[in-house]
Amino acid sequence: MIELHNLSKSYRTPKGRHHVFRDLNLVIPSGKSVGLIGHNGAGKSTLLRIMGGIDRPDSGRVITDKTISWPVALAGGFQGSMTGRENVKFVCRIYSRKENIARKLNFIEEFAEIGKYFDMPVKSYSSGMRSRLAFGLSMAFDFDYYLIDEVTAVGDAAFKAKSAALMAQKREQANFIMVSHSLGSLKQFCDVAVLLDRQGAHYFENIDEAIETYLSHEVDKKPA
Amino acid sequence: MKRTGLEVQSATVMALFLRELRTRFGEYRLGYVWAVLEPVFHIGLTLVLFGVLMSRVMPDISYPVFLINGVVPWLLFSSVATRSLNAIEANSGLFSYRPVKPIDTLIARSWVESLIFGQVYIVLTVLMWALGDPIRLDDLPLLIVSLLLLLLFSFGFGLVLMIVGDMSKEIAKVVTLALKPLYFVSGIMFSLHSIPEQYHPYILWNPVVHAIELARHAVFHQYDAQHVSLGYLAVSALVMLFVGLVLYRHREEAMLTT
Repeated sequence: MIELHNLSKSYRTPKGRHHVFRDLNLVIPSGKSVGLIGHNGAGKSTLLRIMGGIDRPDSGRVITDKTISWPVALAGGFQGSMTGRENVKFVCRIYSRKENIARKLNFIEEFAEIGKYFDMPVKSYSSGMRSRLAFGLSMAFDFDYYLIDEVTAVGDAAFKAKSAALMAQKREQANFIMVSHSLGSLKQFCDVAVLLDRQGAHYFENIDEAIETYLSHEVDKKPA
Repeated sequence: MKRTGLEVQSATVMALFLRELRTRFGEYRLGYVWAVLEPVFHIGLTLVLFGVLMSRVMPDISYPVFLINGVVPWLLFSSVATRSLNAIEANSGLFSYRPVKPIDTLIARSWVESLIFGQVYIVLTVLMWALGDPIRLDDLPLLIVSLLLLLLFSFGFGLVLMIVGDMSKEIAKVVTLALKPLYFVSGIMFSLHSIPEQYHPYILWNPVVHAIELARHAVFHQYDAQHVSLGYLAVSALVMLFVGLVLYRHREEAMLTT
């Protein structure tokens, strides 16, 4: 269960404060994956990061005793001068016990399939190789919730299939908090939804209903 | 089984420490050796300049030992301070990993600095001994306690700087500028008893002076330390640490808020 209690978040902009959401109250029941739906700039990613404990609200609290991942396939924490192995080892040292690190490194090396590049500086990687490494890193750990912000499959058909299978497998044991422009993958992975619009955040117990509402608003807004 | 908070934090600090070593020195051929060689060259040059060319001498203490015990503690203090100023910015990518807290980055950085300057101190002392300088360690416990208190003081000061530096870039600039003149009033190039006693209050407020003079007294007991006090150093260190931790408690959330 993840409980959002009176969450407010705003940013200072040259034109005054921009409120992303105000006094948001929500309970995501246990065992439910949640999709965050809304237009660009509606605050989906911000809410995702706040739910994951990475960003902080201006006021209010996120209450949960579940383990939550960092945004899946995040490569921002990689240090260019360090090798792929060193970078993922850094994260392994933080998130797992000593005795499990070697096993996780093996898994990531095998999964990412970047060959000798695994022991070369990350700055020499192509963007595809970075994503492979970052995705493999995320999948090496077991969390109760995975934060998934617009994860697009990279690589050739075989790699995409492998990634998709792994995601589906993770989904069986864990839940997702997900932002995606692909309504298809939201439907595939999520049970419930939060729709963010100018009026604030609306909770839907059924993802399909949320998508319908979202789409109908979309139609309303188009000039006749 | 879940790890305890302490286990998670110590694993995090360890990971940050290794990362810091790797990113700062891993790219050079001589690797970590550079970390120690750099300040050794710096101090070696100063020694040649003042000790040999200007043939300065100190009563009661050999000049190189006097200088080593001034410059090394100062460098420890000033590098912990300056590295704290941008600790948040330099590690911002890592706060996406929830266990990583701002204070962990500071602990890791201070640890790296202590390791470097501890080794610099030993290397220089051994070097001087090999060159025939009379090296003594009259009071090793006092030396260790003084330097540890200085480290605590620097860490507390670093915490304050990290918080202030995160709030305003301008203040960070001013602090960097203010540290430079502090070098000249911290008793690094001069001895406290070369200063007329009526001016002592202008100098003795600075705990770094106490640490440096105590360190000199610890290695050469004849070097007089009657004006400085271990108690003052200890109290300053604890007060600074306390202030730093209280501020940190109030500001941790804000530092992690975008």
